[in-house]
Amino acid sequence: MSDENLQKTQAQQDILKMEQPQPLWKMIVTQFAEHRMAVAGVITIVFFILLALSADLISWATGLHPHRQNVSGRYLLPFSHSEVGSSEKETAVETWIANNTELASQLQAELVSKGLIAVPEDDALFEVALMPKEEIAGILTQLEMVPSSFKTMLDDFKKYHPFGTDEVGRDVFIRLIYGARVSIGVGILSTLVAALIGLMIGSLAGFYGGWIDSLLMRVTDALLSLPLIPVMIVIAAVDLQKVPLLAQYVGSGYESIIKMVLIICLFSWMTVARLVRGSILSLKEREFILAARTVGCNDSTIIFRHLFPNVIGPMIVSLTLGVGSSIIFEAALSFLGLGIMPPMASWGNMLTNAQEMIYKNVWLTILPGTMILLTVVSFNFMGDGLQSAVDPKSIRR
Amino acid sequence: MATYILRRILQTIGVVIILSYVCFYIMTLMPGDPVELMISSNPKITSEDVARLRSLYGLDQPAYKRYLNWVAQISTGDLGHSRTYRVPVSELLGPRLWNTFFLSMLALGFSLLIALPMGVYTALNPGGKLDSTVNMASFFGISMPSFLLALILIIIFAVQLGWLPAGGTETIGADNTGLAGVFDRMKYLILPVLSLSLQSIGSFVRYARGSMLDVLRQDYVRTAKAKGLSYHVVIWKHAFRNALIPIITVVALSLSNVFSGALLTETVFAYQGVGKLVYDSIMGNDFNVAMISFIISVSMVLIMNLIADILYGFVDPRISYH
Repeated sequence: MSDENLQKTQAQQDILKMEQPQPLWKMIVTQFAEHRMAVAGVITIVFFILLALSADLISWATGLHPHRQNVSGRYLLPFSHSEVGSSEKETAVETWIANNTELASQLQAELVSKGLIAVPEDDALFEVALMPKEEIAGILTQLEMVPSSFKTMLDDFKKYHPFGTDEVGRDVFIRLIYGARVSIGVGILSTLVAALIGLMIGSLAGFYGGWIDSLLMRVTDALLSLPLIPVMIVIAAVDLQKVPLLAQYVGSGYESIIKMVLIICLFSWMTVARLVRGSILSLKEREFILAARTVGCNDSTIIFRHLFPNVIGPMIVSLTLGVGSSIIFEAALSFLGLGIMPPMASWGNMLTNAQEMIYKNVWLTILPGTMILLTVVSFNFMGDGLQSAVDPKSIRR
Repeated sequence: MATYILRRILQTIGVVIILSYVCFYIMTLMPGDPVELMISSNPKITSEDVARLRSLYGLDQPAYKRYLNWVAQISTGDLGHSRTYRVPVSELLGPRLWNTFFLSMLALGFSLLIALPMGVYTALNPGGKLDSTVNMASFFGISMPSFLLALILIIIFAVQLGWLPAGGTETIGADNTGLAGVFDRMKYLILPVLSLSLQSIGSFVRYARGSMLDVLRQDYVRTAKAKGLSYHVVIWKHAFRNALIPIITVVALSLSNVFSGALLTETVFAYQGVGKLVYDSIMGNDFNVAMISFIISVSMVLIMNLIADILYGFVDPRISYH
C-alpha cells in the first residue's frame, strides 16, 4: 500500500517538475546540449581560444618563440630537434661574457686550471659552447659552480620542435598558437563590428520604411551581388599611406590587422542587415509595439528596448556562421599575400609559402590548414546547434 | 515583364558604371604607379624626364579627369595595352575567359551530377546512416576553404602518388590539336574541377535534401501515391520536378559566379584563367588589364544574376513580375 502511494507521489512529482516554468536560457541550453556535434564544436572553440589567450605563457614555458629565425634548421619535420648555428652561439656567448664579467673570468680560470680546455683563457667559454651536448655535460659536472644563466644559455642552443619548422626556421607549433590569436581574433572582431553596422542599418530600414528602406536595400542588394574575392583583393591591395584617414596607422604592427577587419566588415554587414530588416518588418505589426506607442514611447526607445531583444535571437545564429566565413576570408586574403603580413603569424599566411615547400615538407600545409578547417567546422556546428535551439518551433519540453 | 527587365538592365548598367569609377579610384591608391616602375628599372632617369612621362601618361591629373579619359578611350574600342605581356588587352582576355568558363561550367556540372542524386536519396531515407554521413560530409565541404582543398589534392595526387600534374593549363611546348589537345587539357583540369566542385557539392546536397523533404510532405505526392502510380514515377516525375525550383535558384546564383568564383583555385593551380589574370595584374601593377578584367568579372556576375532572376520567373509559374 505504501509502495503504491510512494509511486503515485513520484509520478505526481514528475508531473509537477515538468509543469514548472523554465527560464528561456535554460530551455535553449538543454536543446543545444542534445545536438552532439554542436557541443563538440563549442568545446573545440573554447579549447582554441584558451590556447590563443595563453600564447605568451606557452612561449615562456616551452622556450619557443614565433619570430625567432634559425637558418640552419629550415623545413624540419615534426618531432625534431634543431641546433642553432655556430655564429649565433658565439654572439650569445659574447653577450653573456659582456654582461657577467666576473663570473666569466672565474669560469675561464677554472676551466684552464683544471686542464679541461686546451686553448687560451679568453677563448675557453667559446670553445665550451661549440662542443656537442654530451661533452658539455661532462665538462660542466667537473666544475665547482656553474652559473645558472650560463646553463640556460647553453640549453637555449638546442630546441625541440613538436611540429617542425617553416622555411626560415621558425617553430610551427608556437606560430600556430600565435596565429590562432590573430585569425580567431580578426574573425570575431570583424563579425561583431559588421553585426553592429548591420543592426543599425537593418533596423533603420525596417522601422521607418518608405524611401529610407528602398534606398538602403538598393545599396545592400548592389553590394550583395558583387563577387566577393576579386573586390576584396582590389581593396586589400590599397596602400594605406595614400588614404588620408588611415595613414596614421601605418608603421604600427597592427596595420594589416586593422585593414583586414575593415575589409571583412565591409562585406559581412549585408546579410545581418537583411535578416534584421526582415525580423523588424514582421515584429513592427505586433501588439506590444502598438502598446508601446500608445504609452508614448519615442522611436529610439521602441527600437532599442523593445525590438532589439527580439531580433537578437536569429542574429546570433547568423553571427556564429559569419565568424566561420570571416576566418575563411582572412585566411584566403593572407594566403594570397594581401592580408596579415609576416612576421606576424596567421594561419593563412603560414600557408603562403607552403605551396613551394610541398615537395620538401608537407606538414607546413597540413597543420595550419587543419586548424582552419577545425575552427570553421566548429563554428558551423555551433551555429547549426544554436539554430535548432533558438527556433521556438522545435523546442520540446 | 518587359518593364521589369528594362529596369533591371538600367540598374545593372548604373552599378557597373559606379563600380568602375570606384575601382579606378582604388587603383590609383595602390602602391606603385606606371612611372615608378620605369624609374626603378632605369636609375639614370632625370627628374625632367619623370615629369614629362607623368604628363604624357596623364598621371598628374586628378582621378576623375583620368577616369573620363579612360572612359573615352574605352568607348572607341581601344581597351589598352598590357604592360606585363606587351599585347593588347583584348587579345589577352579572350583565351582566358574561355578557360575560366570551361573550368567553372565543368565544376558546376560535376557538382550537380553528384549532389542532386545524393540529396534525393538522403531525403528518401531521412535519419539513416547514409543521411548522417552525407550531412557530416557536407558540413566539412562548406567549411573547408577552397585553396586548402586544392593544396591537399595537390599533396595527395601530385606529390605522393604522382598521377596528375600539380598545375598549369596544358603541357607546355606540345602543340596538341584536336582530340589529343582536348585529352591533354583534361589531364590538367581534373584537380581544379574536383577542388572547385567539392565545396558546392556540400551546399547543393543540403539544399536538395531540404527541398525534397519539403516536397515529399505535400498533398499532391500523397494523391499520386494514392492513385497507384509507381514509386519511380511519384518520386521523379512529381516530387523531384517541384523540388527543383529552389534548387534552380541556388544553381542560378552559382552560375553568376562562373567568371569570378574560381580565382583562388586558379591561383593555386596556376591555371590561366580570368581570376588569375585579375590577381596577377593587381599584384604586378598592370593597370589596364586589372581594370578591364575586374570590370568584366563584375559585369558578368551582375548580368548572370539578371538572367537567373528572369529564368526563375519562367520556371516557377507562381511568380509574376509586375
